[in-house]
Amino acid sequence: MSPPLLEVHGVSKHFGGVAAVSDAAFSVAERSITALIGPNGAGKTTMFNLISGFLRPEGGTIRFADRRIDGLRGDVIARAGLVRAFQTARVLTRMSVLDNMLLAAKHQPGERLGMGWIAPRRVAEREREIRERAHEVLDLVRLRPLAGDYAGTLSGGQRKLLELGRALMVEPRMILLDEPMAGVAPVLAEQLLDHIRQLRERQGVTVFVIEHDMDVVMSISERVIVMDEGRVIADGSPEAIQNDERVIEAYLGRSSGSDADPGRAAGHRP
Amino acid sequence: MDIFNPAFWIFIAILAGIYTILSLGLYVQFSLAGLPNFGHVAFMAVASYTMAILVVRYSVSLPVASALGVAAAIGLGLVMGIPSLRLRADYLAIATVAGGEIVRYLAMNFPEFTGGPLGSIGLQGPGQIASYNAEWQSLLDRIAAALSAIVGAAATRDLAMAMLVWSVAVLLLFLFWQLERSPWGRVLKAIREDETAVTAVGKNVFAFKLQALVLGAALGAVAGLLLAWQIGVFSPDDYQPTLTFYAYLILILGGMNRLWAIPVGAVAFSLLYSGTRFLNFFPLSLIDSGSRAFLRLFLVGLLLVLFMALRPQGMLGNRRELLLEK
Repeated sequence: MSPPLLEVHGVSKHFGGVAAVSDAAFSVAERSITALIGPNGAGKTTMFNLISGFLRPEGGTIRFADRRIDGLRGDVIARAGLVRAFQTARVLTRMSVLDNMLLAAKHQPGERLGMGWIAPRRVAEREREIRERAHEVLDLVRLRPLAGDYAGTLSGGQRKLLELGRALMVEPRMILLDEPMAGVAPVLAEQLLDHIRQLRERQGVTVFVIEHDMDVVMSISERVIVMDEGRVIADGSPEAIQNDERVIEAYLGRSSGSDADPGRAAGHRP
Repeated sequence: MDIFNPAFWIFIAILAGIYTILSLGLYVQFSLAGLPNFGHVAFMAVASYTMAILVVRYSVSLPVASALGVAAAIGLGLVMGIPSLRLRADYLAIATVAGGEIVRYLAMNFPEFTGGPLGSIGLQGPGQIASYNAEWQSLLDRIAAALSAIVGAAATRDLAMAMLVWSVAVLLLFLFWQLERSPWGRVLKAIREDETAVTAVGKNVFAFKLQALVLGAALGAVAGLLLAWQIGVFSPDDYQPTLTFYAYLILILGGMNRLWAIPVGAVAFSLLYSGTRFLNFFPLSLIDSGSRAFLRLFLVGLLLVLFMALRPQGMLGNRRELLLEK
């Protein structure tokens, strides 16, 4: 197994009195497709928010590519190569599909105020490069024909594809996908799965994915991390996880437990 | 003054030019970056007061005093922006409303420093009439003199002012049009749409928002200085919060997300605002002229409501873009 690209150690996060994540520890191997599963309110999305810098962990360390990233800002973490997508795709609706892509490209001198006047050639050249790259990626996610349309006119599934493509423009080493299949039409879902596999095969991107559909989890990931009530309760191959007592218990409920508490699920979602 | 008097149209042109620059500042903040600034007028006030105080009390030359006026407005932008821009947009709205009013009340209540309710005329204390405008008037006179070679007797100070204001306005519109189309503008628009997504692709949202706020403040300051020079005397009452809303109205009239719609909106607004004096026909002639002046406020409000209800994209906006949900 390749060395870990992401290492989470002793990370906790409380919202009010609720421990959304407590003392979580796990690692994600480079060039792997690793799934994060667990019942509603287990703290999966919170975990993603902690890793990607959208929330600050209360304790513990998070290391990415041998660099501590806990406490860094979200944009710094993204530029370091750890890029996230959202549960509900966040596309920029009143901008074109192409502009959504171009926005995300790194190293754009034209983002500096006035650089267009100081070094117009350099700005134009980079713009040409990223335009070319954006078209390639749009081809990959099959959105090229829609490049000129407002992103707001895309369907839910197309938006997820666009968000995936946009994340690729950041040239990630690792990508965090929060329920990429949720709300996507079956045909598109199949496509999306393909893209995720190819990401790893062709581009060597490490994929860390939250997914509810167990068939999907079993078919794409080689490793599964299971959370319940803010804790990591299991970590292993899909086969091992399927037969793990604690996992079955977490999903099917204990004889008596806090599972039945309806407020819990809502409280955990950031 | 009647409708055929060229002086009236020159007056409209000056007003519209200044409003164009003022609204361009708001455009950069609100239309581009999505920053709700409800205290834009404060940038005008701070720049004007700084300039006038430096000229009158410290005999600073006009160009230096003006530059410091713009710098002071930028400083105010930083003071309002740094604590509030990391938070949700609502907090900037609150900070700017408060900031605008604080500036006006400070000007009102520190007479020994600002002239108090008297305004700039009281800058040298009671019994003396202060003016910050001599250098500016002589500049206009020189321009007018040069113009008279071309247009003859029609070359007035006001004509010189109108040409100057519009030269500045067109230049600024052009520069910001280029900025809007640059990758920098792309990031700002994306922040307007969804700043979380922009953070997620690795852009420092706070830094971009601060840049937009500061640029908008500088544009507001320039508009403030031009207005101060044009009216010659100003007081805290000239910086009522309504002025900020006139700038919003101009953006809405022209078309919210269209840079070149700003001058169109500004001209339309200025005509509307000044044109109410011609509403002296029956049955409006039954109302006395003082009350008729208030009609324009009703008209401005009515028009705003009508536009929002019937034509939210303004005169030149893109309805399709506007109706897309975030």
